[in-house]
Amino acid sequence: MTAGWRVGASLAARLISLAGALLVSALLATAQAAQAAPVAITDDRGVTVRLPAPPQRIVSLLPSLTETVCALGRCDRLVGVDRYSNHPASVRGLPTVGGGLDPQIETIVALRPDVVLAAVSARGIERLESLGLRVVALEPRTTAQARAALLALGGLLDAPRADRVWQAVEDGVAAAAAAQPSRVPPLRVYVEASAGGFAAGPSSFMGELMARLGWVNVVDAALGPFPRLNPEAVVRADPDLILIAERDAAGLAQRPGWAGMRAVREGHVCTFTPAQGDILVRPGPRMAEAAALMARCAAVRGTR
Amino acid sequence: MTAALRATGLAVSLGGREVLAGVDVTLAAGRWTAVVGPNGAGKSTLLRALAGVVPHRGAVMLRDRPREAWQARERARTLAWLGQAESGGEDLRVWDLVMLGRLPHQGWLAAPSAADRAAVTEALHATQAWAWRERTLGSLSGGERQRVRLARLLAVQAPVLLMDEPLANLDVPHQADWLALVRSLAAQGRTVVSVLHEVGMALQADAVLVMQSGRVVHHGPPADAATRAAVRTVFDDRLDIHPVAGAWVVVPRTASPGFPPRAAPTMPGFTPPHDSPGEHA
Amino acid sequence: MSAGSRPVVLAVALVALAVVGGWLGVGVGSTGWAWPGAAAADAVAAQIAWDIRLPRTAVAWLAGALLGLAGAVAQGLFRNPLADPFLLGSASGAALGVALALVGAGGASMALDGWSRLGLTGAAFAGALAGVGLTLALARGVQHTLRLLLAGVIVGVVLGAARELVTLADPAVLQAMQGFMLGSTALSGWPAVVVMAAALGLSGLTALGLGRVLDGLALGEATARSLGLPLGAARLALVGALALATGAAVAQTGLIAFVGLAAPHLVRAIAPARHASLVLLSALMGGALLLAADLAARALIAPQELPVGVLTALLGGGYLLWLMHRRGVLGGGS
Repeated sequence: MTAGWRVGASLAARLISLAGALLVSALLATAQAAQAAPVAITDDRGVTVRLPAPPQRIVSLLPSLTETVCALGRCDRLVGVDRYSNHPASVRGLPTVGGGLDPQIETIVALRPDVVLAAVSARGIERLESLGLRVVALEPRTTAQARAALLALGGLLDAPRADRVWQAVEDGVAAAAAAQPSRVPPLRVYVEASAGGFAAGPSSFMGELMARLGWVNVVDAALGPFPRLNPEAVVRADPDLILIAERDAAGLAQRPGWAGMRAVREGHVCTFTPAQGDILVRPGPRMAEAAALMARCAAVRGTR
Repeated sequence: MTAALRATGLAVSLGGREVLAGVDVTLAAGRWTAVVGPNGAGKSTLLRALAGVVPHRGAVMLRDRPREAWQARERARTLAWLGQAESGGEDLRVWDLVMLGRLPHQGWLAAPSAADRAAVTEALHATQAWAWRERTLGSLSGGERQRVRLARLLAVQAPVLLMDEPLANLDVPHQADWLALVRSLAAQGRTVVSVLHEVGMALQADAVLVMQSGRVVHHGPPADAATRAAVRTVFDDRLDIHPVAGAWVVVPRTASPGFPPRAAPTMPGFTPPHDSPGEHA
Repeated sequence: MSAGSRPVVLAVALVALAVVGGWLGVGVGSTGWAWPGAAAADAVAAQIAWDIRLPRTAVAWLAGALLGLAGAVAQGLFRNPLADPFLLGSASGAALGVALALVGAGGASMALDGWSRLGLTGAAFAGALAGVGLTLALARGVQHTLRLLLAGVIVGVVLGAARELVTLADPAVLQAMQGFMLGSTALSGWPAVVVMAAALGLSGLTALGLGRVLDGLALGEATARSLGLPLGAARLALVGALALATGAAVAQTGLIAFVGLAAPHLVRAIAPARHASLVLLSALMGGALLLAADLAARALIAPQELPVGVLTALLGGGYLLWLMHRRGVLGGGS
């Protein structure tokens, strides 16, 4: 009886391992098949780029697209980035190929990328395409566009569960908003987005985050995404909180009439470093961090 | 004698001002006519109008054909003009600048022909500028440049030559050379019209055109006393004309103390029409 | 060396320089300097050499030749050694065209979509021609040199103000405009070479054929007219050649200063000649100058590139300073 058991057991074991091997190889085969499947993406220009397989060598000319690729878990496929891409840390060691406005055509071609990711407003797209490279032009400026870009790139890169990645970002934003104390009336905020006095209007990316956090933007929606306001308009609006870059914060009191502003007098000014500025300004997967940054600062410096 | 140039009702307005007010003049062929007059008389403008380089009213007949009826290059080969105080071309070699005078003779893309080179050579020799033919114009003195520009005019080999102040910057020996040159040109049958500040030189011409305030006051040979009287009149009697060694010499009359100058006393009640105290002939 | 043979010697020297520069240009690139010829092995390296470096080297030479030609024509036409090919509003027109195209590309306005479809190249070219056309209309023809110059200055100022307004409406294009204004050959390929060569041929032949008129004009307008030269028609054709040459150069490489100004000067200093030769030599000189500047711009801080317009401005400014110093030392006027 034991001999029969032993034979049966070893037969069963062999059968099971065979079945297992078959299963694994079947899975691998489907995985391979999935990897070898052609992919396509329609970019912001309306151009549809088709590739026989998900790209293995990617050059990115826009920091938010670099971050999106990495958020999708395909950071290892980047072979070159623009000089402004600095997150995550792993991309800092990659070869730089100039900027969106002055790409180094030669360097890009020498990297032999399967696809080049660029902003719509980048120069040199036609040149790269005329040299035989595939270019995908995406320039997300709002939350909706960032989501669309992430999902589209997820399809192109065959990244698993891109929608889950986005959901995590959305959850993060919601959490940041929820963590705030409830304020009645809501916080009135003025955000100066870039040097030269350009304010963040409600239709800009930062403006959308402000809305998600339940803040009121002192800038009128009709003025566009980045209007250059007359300084006295801000004085008249009398915001509860000011968000501004560190290097511009020092001169705040020198602006005519601003020294008397309540927010300036009582120190309700949030400053952000250049690194934090990158997070706030780029419409991409670090949206949750941006929201958290803003909420944290408001908790410390806001009136209520 | 045929008329090389005939102008009728020539009038020019510059900047709202009537610089030339209705001039009728006939310039005979084979003669040298000098144009004299005080500053602002319109002498240069007359020459420019005859040459057609300034817009004007009135008609100009070149060899009995209206000047506008001539084809541009043919007209340029027939009527050559040298402006007053010309400038430009300082970077050019003398040879090249004089060769520009051959432009009316040259085809569009043709290289200079043997005839062109001969004409330039002859012109450079006639103005004693041959030695500098390889130098640039800018390296020459004022008088030397003037001779080069004269050579440019001569290189055109036109039968009618209009010269405005051709003696500018020229020293006396070269003024004498110019005089000989113009006389030989007239003897060849060419027509020479020259605006001259040097009244003495002008009185060597075959005919003198006396101008004042945009009009021709007198046109006649210097041998004619009326011509000389007209010259004195337009210059406010501030000069004396004396014959010396068969030629007319002009001496400026300096103002006596007690400006303005008073005429010398004559018999009371008698004003001589042609004779004036300065006349000695 | 007699004065007569100097132009020929100069021409030969400049052609030789162009050939050497072209060969060097294939070697200079993102990896600094490498011997051309060694690249043949690798397919990508060959593509880089043939499809990228060679055309942009050619474009650099062609842009310089176009600007040098335009400079010689402008200086002869306006009888002013300080005349610059950008005098007649071509530069400001090109810049405005580029600004409109950038704004259109950014999707700021549907109305500007037409401009962005032209591409930056086409927009710059169209803008340059429009600028010159506006100048001609304002000056009511080419009869009066002074009026032409004045109209050119006015158009330049007005179009510049229009460009400021456009960038105010959409500040995002400011950086891109700056990049265009500083000049670069980075984005030029073989189609650009063809267009520029055609422009050079057309404007060059026009200028060569009308060299006589420029010579006559050097003596003054009145003298030129007395020599029977067809001034009106010739000036129109020359202005057209000027617009074509500068438009073609600016459209591809942006605004590159001083080449058009300095090339004829250098030629006159070395080998003074009549305008037919001057125009040809200025083109060769301009090509050599810009080629050298482009090589330096690519090689100095490789793999990064200096904008070539910055280099030419530095070199050109230095040359003019030296000229002033020489004139001052020699105690002479111009």
